[in-house]
Formats: sequence, structure tokens, C-alpha cells
Amino acid sequence: MSIPVIRSFISFWKRMNGQKQDAVKSLGALAVIFILAVLVSPTTATGSNIFLQLGNLTDVLRQGSIVGIISLAMTFVILTGGIDLSVGSILALSTTVVALVLTRWQHGPSYPLEIATAIFIALLVSTTSGALSGAIIAVFDVQPFVVTLAGMIGIRGLAKWLSNNANVDVGFGQDVASTFAAIFRGKTITIACYAILAAVFYILLSRTIFGRYVRAVGDNERAALYAGLPIRRVKLWVYSLSGLLAGFAGVLYAAENHQGNPNAGVGYELDAIAAVVIGGTRLSGGKGTIAGTIIGTLMIGVLTNMLRLNNVDSNVEMMIKGGIILLAVALQKQGRQAR
Amino acid sequence: MPNPILQLSEIDKSFDGTHALRGASFSLFRGEVHALMGENGAGKSTLARIIAGATSADNGKLLLEGSPVVINGPRDAQRVGISIIFQELDLFPHLTVAENIAIGNHQFSRQFKQRRFVRVADLDSFCKPFLDQVGLTRSPRCEVRTLTTGERQLVAIARALSMRARIIVMDEPTSSLFDDAVERLFKLIVELKRQGVSVVYVSHKMDEIFRICDRVTVMRDGQTIDTRAIQDVSPAELIRMMIGKEWQSRDRKPIELSSEAILSFSGVTTAKLRDVSFDLRKGEVLGIAGLLGSGRSEIGSVLIGLDRCRQGRISMHGNHLSIGSVREAQTAGIRWVPEDRKLEGLMMQMSIQENCTISDLGAFSRAGFVKRKREYNRTMELFHGLSLKAASTDLPVSTLSGGNQQKVLLSRCLLANSDLIFLDDPTRGIDVGAKEDIYKIIEQLASQNKGILLVSSELPELLRCCDRILVMREGAVAAELTAGNTTQEEILTFATQAPAQVRGHA
Repeated sequence: MSIPVIRSFISFWKRMNGQKQDAVKSLGALAVIFILAVLVSPTTATGSNIFLQLGNLTDVLRQGSIVGIISLAMTFVILTGGIDLSVGSILALSTTVVALVLTRWQHGPSYPLEIATAIFIALLVSTTSGALSGAIIAVFDVQPFVVTLAGMIGIRGLAKWLSNNANVDVGFGQDVASTFAAIFRGKTITIACYAILAAVFYILLSRTIFGRYVRAVGDNERAALYAGLPIRRVKLWVYSLSGLLAGFAGVLYAAENHQGNPNAGVGYELDAIAAVVIGGTRLSGGKGTIAGTIIGTLMIGVLTNMLRLNNVDSNVEMMIKGGIILLAVALQKQGRQAR
Repeated sequence: MPNPILQLSEIDKSFDGTHALRGASFSLFRGEVHALMGENGAGKSTLARIIAGATSADNGKLLLEGSPVVINGPRDAQRVGISIIFQELDLFPHLTVAENIAIGNHQFSRQFKQRRFVRVADLDSFCKPFLDQVGLTRSPRCEVRTLTTGERQLVAIARALSMRARIIVMDEPTSSLFDDAVERLFKLIVELKRQGVSVVYVSHKMDEIFRICDRVTVMRDGQTIDTRAIQDVSPAELIRMMIGKEWQSRDRKPIELSSEAILSFSGVTTAKLRDVSFDLRKGEVLGIAGLLGSGRSEIGSVLIGLDRCRQGRISMHGNHLSIGSVREAQTAGIRWVPEDRKLEGLMMQMSIQENCTISDLGAFSRAGFVKRKREYNRTMELFHGLSLKAASTDLPVSTLSGGNQQKVLLSRCLLANSDLIFLDDPTRGIDVGAKEDIYKIIEQLASQNKGILLVSSELPELLRCCDRILVMREGAVAAELTAGNTTQEEILTFATQAPAQVRGHA
């Protein structure tokens, strides 16, 4: 009985293209980690599994959301064959800007308008930062690593300079800043934002002309040039989007932590890159999916949660994460060679 | 007759199932300059690389001074005194002249064995005699990227000499040299010969071969056809040997001379082209023949705005044409199929369908969203017409054979329905069946009154597909021939010989 099942699975597998095969593989890996997390999870006094509690599962999602949002746009950047190291600093800049506007602007028109304006300014600053990197990369044809490394350092400096190197605290009262934090720190809001953005970026990559161009540029830039594609515009856009999403993640971060923090987001660029790579996107560009990146984000989230529930030392946690990244890449490489 | 210093027999070599060499044989005497001739793809470069140990043969014997040797890689070749100078000169641009000569050099390591560190003075003293010998006047301490191509060639030769090379293989050494540098190279070769060094000279330039070579071996389709002493052979005979059997040009309805010109070049001059003029009429296939680097591909580059037109005028449908980018060219109704489908044409990881439509997604989309159903239907229609075989159009284009990949690239032109199509060697490296399919596509396009420029390395192909053939030589039009009234011999004569010689033979 099992043989026909296996056979039909094999033929199903063969009919899928490589990208779908990769997606199924990543999903399988996520399932394995999930089951492992359930198995090793401690239980409450009443015997219920802590990992599977709704509160815990939504915590996993919420904790993954901020880096998850950054990694959506990072997928686009990496697909074009680039990299964006400046996202952690842009996040810090955004937290600082949104908190500064809300705490310093004493007599705004109305709370909603003031909150909207603050968010708008933070996103504008962030998008501009990304667009600037994109413009330098596209027009002067400089390596993205170098340009965004400069951005990472310079923008961090800007965030610290704006806030005099101190946190901009957002209170818990009735003022506009506190109201902003109360709204945007909700679990539902955070998770919903991630889910909506994930859907938008999924459609953007898989259904639009822009998405095609992004993959084409990373697959073979020279061929893309000869095919008449607007390479510079594509690059400008992906880095702008990366800035925009890092800025948005910064807004959520400020609300969640009740502060604008110029030292926030250190190392987030690497976490985002890790999620993208674990999700099966090739670092040299051209191949990858948003679904993969979401799976990668969830894998890291579940893994972290599992280790923390079991009180594993946070240093050991880092070592295990490093190992997982290598393992994920090794598995993908093997799959490619077999094909 | 003395014993040959090097003898190769029954050499076979294949790459991915296609035979590059079949039973090739070659012998070389001491102090001889021996030319290897043949059309593009005849196997000259492969044979040269096997001699120099840069590629290993699948089968066959290699005798060095009568005893069998196995040359595994450049280090082995250096040990036995064989050196190759590649067409593209494999020097390190950011290292100095002296460093380039000394790097990986057994002689240098032996001479300065006791030193732990490399001293600049040692480098200078090591290189000096060889640089003097080749006549390079630049300092050994300047970086190679500051040198002209001719000077780099001299560095490469000095490097070979410093390795005590007895055999030097030169792969089309004059392809990127100017006249004075060519003269200097020839003097040097004569000097090397006097010192007993043997030179294998890969070229298809007739005048050079008759000037400096002692013997010539002609290759065709991976086989060595014959070896002759240069004084016993005429250029015409060599060309006949290179071509082999004579091909019939096909019957095609002649183009009406009155029909309107789609494209006109008049006196077009770019960095690579000199005063190129021609007309392309509606429904005409105009072939462009010429050796690699003759400017045949550059006609395409200027057409799509990759190269700037410095002088002269390009007009399309009688209107002056000024193209700044590929996109502009596409809008003007020009499509270009690049020479190297893997590096310049296709996105290998993207699907077959995506590769077909990438330049024309606007036609399948609304508000930036791709209508995939419409895209699928249109591409399926095209692929049926092209007899393109694929399990699914969702598979990456890399899973297709070379011929089918080329069809995908051509399908972009069909999809766009543009007036003018420039095909750069569209049948390179694909099998016979796929070639026929591509010829049919070309015919079909011509019958739709489009103008087609077809660059090809294969003369039979040009004779079969084209109405007229433009022969390019050193960036200029050497001849404009009618396909029905010409022969491969005539084309090759124009492509390989200096103008004076052509007149002499005519």
C-alpha cells in the first residue's frame, strides 16, 4: 500500500520545478524543527505543552516579526545580487526619529494626525537613506557591500547625533507618544503588519514585472542589460524598499520598547541575511522566494524559542544558530548538484 | 630530415559530447615556425592548448624528442620547456612586469632558492636579459596594466623565454596588435628561430603565415588535413583545404532591388569600425562574414547603442537613427541576439517562459502585474512554431539543450515582431537538427518582410541563408558579395588577406 503512495509522491516531486522543490524542502525542515520543539518542550504543572500554548506561539511570531519585515526587502536586494548592511542602522535611525518627533512636538493638531506625521517622517528618512545607497550603487556601479557598509556606519552616527547619544524615552501616560506606543506594541498589530507586508512582497516578487526584473538582474546582469531591462531603476528601487521596511520595523521597535534607541538593531542586518539564506535564496542572486524567507524567519524563531524554553545558555544558542545556517546552505548545495 | 622535437599523433578530444579534435596529428622541428590554420571552430586552439598542457587529450600519443611524455598542466609544460602565449594574454594586470615574469617560474625559484623573501633587485636582475632580448624598453617595475597590448605580448614572450622554453605556442598573437607591434613581434620570432626555439603559430591571417612560417598544418572539423612546407603551397590551396567540400547555395527568390531599405549605414565609424556602409532591404537576409575581431559583431553593438557612432550616419526607414540604449533600440524596432547565449543572452536560472518574455512583459501585463495566462498561451504558441522541446515551460532554461536554448533566445525576437533583427552567430555550438530549425526561422522572418543581419562563422550557413554577404576585415567592409554568385573561397580570401593581395589574386 505504501509503494503507490511513494510512487505518486516521486512523480509529483519530479513534476515540480526546482524552485517549488526547494520550497517543499524548506517547509520540511521547518516541520522537523517544529516537531522537535514540541517534543523537547517543558510542560506546565497541568501537563500541557508550553511550546504549543497559543501565547507562546504568538510570541514566536511577534519576536520574529521585526527581523522578518527587514528580511522581506533583503530578499529582493539579495536577489539582484546585492546586499544591504545598513538596515540595522536605518532601524535605529527610524526609532530615534519617530520618538523624537512624538516627544518634542508638544502641541500637535490631533493625536492620530500627529502619530501619522511622525511615522511618515521616520519612513521618509529611512527610505531616503536606502535610496541614497541604491543611487550610488546603480549610478556609479560601486559594490553594494561597500556602499551599505558606509551607510551602516554613517547612519548609525546620524541616529546617535540626532538623539545626543541617549535613548529617547516614550512614557506610559496619556500623551501622544505613549498613545502611539500603546497602539503599535500590540501583538496582533505587530504580527498583522508582518503578515500583510509578507503577502505584499510575495505578490510583488511573483506576480509583477518588477519582481521578474529583480530576479533577471541578479541572474545575469549582462543579459538583463542586453535584453533592455532598466537595471539602474531596479537597483534604486530594491534599496529604497529595503530602507522603507527597515524604517517600518524601526517604528514597531520604538513602540514595543517604548523608546527611540540609536543603539537598536545592531546585527539585525546579519539576522535578516541569515533568514534569507536559510530560506534558500542564493547569495549571488537570481534565485530565491519570499516564501523561503518567511520559512527561514520562522525556523530561526522556533529554534530560538525552543532553546530559551529549555533554558539553554544564550551563547550556546548562538553557536547552534551558526551551525544551522551552515547546515541549511549545505543541504541546498547538495540539492543543486544532484540536479 | 632531422627528428622532430615534438610529435603528436591520433589526438582525440571532446567537450560535452562534441568532438573538438578527431585523430589530429602534428609534428614540430627544432627552430621552426609552424603555422596552425583553420576556420573558427576547426580545433586549432584546442590542439595548441594540448601541446602546451593547458588541456589534456582524451586519447593519443605525445612524443617529446622521441620519448613519450604526459603533460599535466602548465607546471609540467614548464619543466619540459613548452610555453603558451594565449590570445588574451594571461598576465596579472596589477603586478609589475618583473613580478609577472617571475611568478610561478621554476628558473627564478631555482636561482634564488636561498632567499626567504623576494627582493626587488633580484627580480630586476632576473628579468633584465629577457626583457632586453624581446626589446621591451619599459621599466620592469611598472605595473602591467599601464602597458600597451603590444608591450604585454613582449612581457608574455619574455616570460616564456625566462622559463627556458624550447617550444612557444602563440595563439593568434597579432589579433589585437597594431602594425608596428606586429613588425616587432615578427623580428622577435625570426630571432627566436635563429636560437633554435620552435614556434607554433596559430593564425588565420594568410599574409602573416606566408611571411614568417616554415610549414603550415591546416585543420578542419577537428582533423588535421595536411601539413605542407610554405614554399610548396599557395593561399588558394590553403583556403581550399580549410573549406573542404564545396557547398551549394540554396535557391531563394531574389530580393527586388527596388524594395525599400530598412536600414542604411553610411560611413559609420566607431572605436572598432572604420567607414562601414551598406543597405539592408525589406525581406533581405544580409550575411556578415569575417574572422573573430573583424568588426562583424560590432555592427550589432553600434546598432543597439552599446558602442558610440563617432562618424557617419545610421538611418532606419530613411530617418536618422540615434540610439543610446538597448531599450531605445527595441522601441525603434531593433532586436539583437547576442553571440554568447549563456553569458550575454539568457538568465539561466529563470524559466523558459520567463526568458522568452523578459523584454516584452508590457504586452502581458496590466498595471505592472503579469497576466500569466496570457503569457503562457502566447509563448506556447511561439514554442510550437519553433518545434522547441521541453517538458514544461516552467523549467529553468538551463535544463534545455544548446539548440533549444538558442530557440528561446530567438523567440524573444519573434515575440517582439520587430522590423530589424541582428543575429550574432546564432548556430554556434548547436547540433545539426537545431541548426536547420533556426535556418527555417530566419527564412520565415525574411518572408514577413523583416530585415535580418546574420553574423556567422560558418560560411556554408551564410551561403545558404543570405541574399548578400558583407565581408568584414579589420573593422572595415572588405567586400559586398551576392550569395548566389560567390563561393566560400572568395569570402575567405577577402576575410583573410590584405587588400593588396586580394587584388593580386583576382
